[in-house]
Amino acid sequence: MKDGASTGQSVDMDAAAAAAIMRETRERALRRLRPDHRATFTAWGLIWLVGDGAMWLIVRGQHPYHGPSPAAYAAIVLLASLAALASMEENRAETGVGGPSAVRRRLLFVTSFLGYAGAFALEGALAHAGAGRPVLGVFEAVAPILVTGLLYLAISSSIQDWPVAALGLGLIIVAAVSGFAGPEAVWGIVAITVGPAFLLSAALQVRLRRS
Amino acid sequence: MSDDELDPVIHAPARLRIMVTLTALRDGDDLSFTGLQDLTGMTPGNLISHLRKLEEADYVTTQKNGSGVTSRTSVALTPGGRTALEHYTTVLQRLLDSAKPR
Repeated sequence: MKDGASTGQSVDMDAAAAAAIMRETRERALRRLRPDHRATFTAWGLIWLVGDGAMWLIVRGQHPYHGPSPAAYAAIVLLASLAALASMEENRAETGVGGPSAVRRRLLFVTSFLGYAGAFALEGALAHAGAGRPVLGVFEAVAPILVTGLLYLAISSSIQDWPVAALGLGLIIVAAVSGFAGPEAVWGIVAITVGPAFLLSAALQVRLRRS
Repeated sequence: MSDDELDPVIHAPARLRIMVTLTALRDGDDLSFTGLQDLTGMTPGNLISHLRKLEEADYVTTQKNGSGVTSRTSVALTPGGRTALEHYTTVLQRLLDSAKPR
């Protein structure tokens, strides 16, 4: 097969060879240019399942409710940092891609930071206004899910990535409803709904990338 | 070029790789020259010569932003380029179908 590299002329390539080049090039380009959510979703799924599950075991039966220990919070922050590293690895797939996708990446990074920082500040304001530990406990369990759900729904809908948008919508629903279970049970509900939802989404991504 | 012919501008392995790689981008996105070089496995000189051919046909656009060491050359598919590749794919499929034993 002649490439016609410098001139682009006298190319001797049959239809089957052209089809093979197209197939192989497309597979490689999609693998390299589209972000791979599998590692991120698996990491977040395990963190929510194990982390919030552990939180639930810690606070279960507390009377009066005084919430997880500072060490437990520190462990969750450490695990979340590891998941954030997985997200950065995912974004590396899009290195070299400019345009709206690059803007979306930056937007997701900035809004995530502002969203979580805003939720943290709001918790401080609630405590300052006299909210008790049970109220703060509910807020701590659901606020990260609400922020994550809103970001996923907004960003993924804009690129018609419906599986991830559906995950975002699911997170918003869990955040809106689970708090009614109270400051103890909310951790358990989040663990058994959000954790598996992320793991299921990771499995779905495996199927979508194969198809 | 008739409707039954494969577009000679696209029908070269190197240019076919460039076009197909660029279609993997989302609408409105572009790819850096080095990213495209990495994905197609072509030398810079080779890639430039094929991009020039594709630019002459209005299938791709290249844009240089910045200057010096911070400059970035980006490559994107034009709407005309996307349509041309779709037509190329249709003709190719027809050729493959006609070559199948009946």
